[in-house]
Amino acid sequence: MQHFSRKLFGLLFVLTLLVSACGGGTTVSGENVPETESAQPVENEAGVSGDLVIYSGRSESLIQPVLDAFQAKHPTVKILLKSGSNSELANALIEEQANPQADVFVTTEIFTIQNLYQQGLFASYRPAGADSLPPEFIGPDDSWIGLTRRARVIIYNTELVSAEEAPTSIFDLTDPKWKGQIAAAGSTNGGMQAQVAAMRQLLGDVDTQEWLAGLMANDVTFFGGHTDVRKAVGAGEFKIGLVNHYYYYLQQAEGSPVGIVFPDQGEGGIGLISNATSAAIVKGAKNVPAAQAFLDFLISEEGQKLFAELNYEYPLLPGVALKEGVQPLDGFRLADVNVAEAALDFNGTLDLMEAIGLP
Amino acid sequence: MQIQDTLPQLRRYYHISPRLLFAAGLVALFVAIPLAYIFFRAITGGEEVWIRLLQTRIWKLLGNTLLLAATVTGGAALIGVTMSFFTERTDLPGRRVFRWLLAMPLAIPPYIGGIVHLTLLRPRGGFIPQLLASWFGQPIPTPSPLGFGGAAFILTLFMFPYVYLLSGAAFRSLNASLEEASRTFGRSNWQTLWEVTLPALRPGITAGALLVALDVLAEYGTVALLRYETFSSAIFVQLSGRYDRSAAAVLSGVLIVIAVIILWGELRLQGQARFTQMDSQWRPAPPHQLKRWKIPAFLLVAFVVFASLLVPVLVLGVWSVQALLDSETLASIMRSGSQNFGNYVWNSLWASGLAAVIAVLLSLPVALLSVRYPNKLTQAISRFCQIGYAIPGVVIALSLVLMVNRYLPFLYATPLVVVMAYVLRHMPQAVRASESALNQLSPSMEEASRTLGRTSLQTIVQVILPLIVPGLLAGAGLVFLTSLKELPATLLLRPAGFDTLAVRVWIWASEGFYVQAAPAALLLVVASAAPLYFLLRREQIFR
Repeated sequence: MQHFSRKLFGLLFVLTLLVSACGGGTTVSGENVPETESAQPVENEAGVSGDLVIYSGRSESLIQPVLDAFQAKHPTVKILLKSGSNSELANALIEEQANPQADVFVTTEIFTIQNLYQQGLFASYRPAGADSLPPEFIGPDDSWIGLTRRARVIIYNTELVSAEEAPTSIFDLTDPKWKGQIAAAGSTNGGMQAQVAAMRQLLGDVDTQEWLAGLMANDVTFFGGHTDVRKAVGAGEFKIGLVNHYYYYLQQAEGSPVGIVFPDQGEGGIGLISNATSAAIVKGAKNVPAAQAFLDFLISEEGQKLFAELNYEYPLLPGVALKEGVQPLDGFRLADVNVAEAALDFNGTLDLMEAIGLP
Repeated sequence: MQIQDTLPQLRRYYHISPRLLFAAGLVALFVAIPLAYIFFRAITGGEEVWIRLLQTRIWKLLGNTLLLAATVTGGAALIGVTMSFFTERTDLPGRRVFRWLLAMPLAIPPYIGGIVHLTLLRPRGGFIPQLLASWFGQPIPTPSPLGFGGAAFILTLFMFPYVYLLSGAAFRSLNASLEEASRTFGRSNWQTLWEVTLPALRPGITAGALLVALDVLAEYGTVALLRYETFSSAIFVQLSGRYDRSAAAVLSGVLIVIAVIILWGELRLQGQARFTQMDSQWRPAPPHQLKRWKIPAFLLVAFVVFASLLVPVLVLGVWSVQALLDSETLASIMRSGSQNFGNYVWNSLWASGLAAVIAVLLSLPVALLSVRYPNKLTQAISRFCQIGYAIPGVVIALSLVLMVNRYLPFLYATPLVVVMAYVLRHMPQAVRASESALNQLSPSMEEASRTLGRTSLQTIVQVILPLIVPGLLAGAGLVFLTSLKELPATLLLRPAGFDTLAVRVWIWASEGFYVQAAPAALLLVVASAAPLYFLLRREQIFR
């Protein structure tokens, strides 16, 4: 009896495997062969359809609602998303240069995308509505466009730190007063990489290195991403965190006692370091119409509103309202960074972090 | 004995087939190419890269990697042997249940166990430190799960079952007369254990321990999560963080050399361990009476089960329920681009299933050759096809990214490359299962088939294959199980829109969304537990 049941199981297992194998085969070919419905595209607003391959360095929960909205407008487009770190996807794009796989690249800062532009990886496209964007957020030769702006801020737990006590400069983070009380994102995080790249521009290598070494000497805990940082500060695990501004609002929305400082506004300070998320169409993209429609959508009022509403970001399209409660950037002095130069030497930024052993 | 006697006789009917040799040679070539390519890239990586790495990274990575491998191997050997001693050789209460429970952590990928324990133990913010702080009214220092200590703890906790299963089998096959003789000569129980029993089991234990060492070398997820840098994680960073193929190739070359040395030792021991036969005088050794050690022993075994199985499953279960109850979280789990949760499950299942089928099919000519015509050449081919044990997922991924994109661009960024990585990496399990299945088959069956006029190919298809199906399924089950858990190669090779359960767990968890990661993680554990259950059922004690 037992023997019989074992045989039966064996048979079932083989069948399952065979079915999976065959099913797998059709999945593979199905991706390349246009399906019958897309062979005769259903006319919709922009008339785009087919597979749209997006490489995205943005946190997935922060782009999915935008993808869903785009999908709702273009129901015949099938979005294939590959999420990863900016650098992971940038390396994939470089590797695939002769055999492009992606249609659109979305990233969380402009240095990586500018660097890839310099390597000739993108196709020029000026989306509808690009003329209203601030010109510094349009890549040379219309190679990329900025989507939203984000500022590097200090978040603190208001139950542990009073507003007067809170550090007003990122250089205060190396003060031994805060030893072991600070959380930040590590060297693999795009936001942190961009901050270090900006600081090298503003201060030079020596001072930047000194600042990073100071953070490490101050026993700063480095996490893989900012979600861990904001949650840790919100829970009182750390008094202070270094994050992008929207992480403060996200944590506040969860009901945590947190405060925010837009740092380095004082006389002679370096100003608020900010960056922009950005997107570009990959040269050799297989679905250019859908890619262009997607970029159009990202900087349309609807797309920009989604970023502002869902994620408290600063939309680049003028006239799109900030989410209620978000402090506008107008009143702050922003650090002045030359994007092209910072991008050119982005590897130098990574080398510097590696040299001092930033986790 | 019988097999040995009939072999020369068989050869008269069935001399070494050139077709079989050709097929096995092709398989060996398929296995060899990625390895040879990465080696070639490492050597031609450029003097400058070698010097830079030798001056900076290599020594530290070597130290880190070997320290972790040695610690985890030792820890796994200690826990594995202790646990199997208690369940096989003592009157431990509940040992029949513990036998099962102690093997089940194999279904939990170490990075998932790591995620759970990290959340519980993280200094200050973790569940346990916070609990302690609220009990005592002040923070109580607890050991950090990050860095070397944490990585060693987690990997030991989830890899000891390798040693446990192998040493358990060895404990059971031990003849009672061995220990009786020792006691007759005046040795105490304790002395007998140390001086007679354990040395007799050493080949089995060491073979298990070396498998653990190879797994530690290949582990990416856990060390990346707990931020302890080894060769595997450094290669991943070079590959995904920096566009530096040469450095990645050089580091891979060094890693492969270490792994091949360990594999070589394992293969030698495996040959020795295989022939511990039971003769007609065999009687099972009577269990030791634990007496006053009963309760401490029970608590110890229960703690290991608790930490390695109950805690991860319970925590994942609670998180999954939380995720399912919160509509916003649920919605975010369910979709990525136009893909949904069903796609991830399906991708995981078919890619691993296809890899299992291919690996078993490819292992057949190799196993037939080495079992039926044992000579130096066929043994060498068989051993060579087990090289996958020594090539970590990141290295296979690196080699496939470079090769496929250059020479087979139409295959690049298709799920088939992911399947290819699984086959290359997990082929050894298929080869071993096929060989052991064939070893149990008497050549007289084939002899009869040949005498009755069947060709060699007909004999294989009509006689041999039907008889070894259960053994082949065991091999396929193992490949399926390990492919499901595979992380680094899948991360690096997956085309857009082709996420597996393991990838989803990783993407969510690396951003700190542990609750979102839980349903996929739990499903992965359940999907792995099913084949593991049937594999264990094949073993005598697990019926």
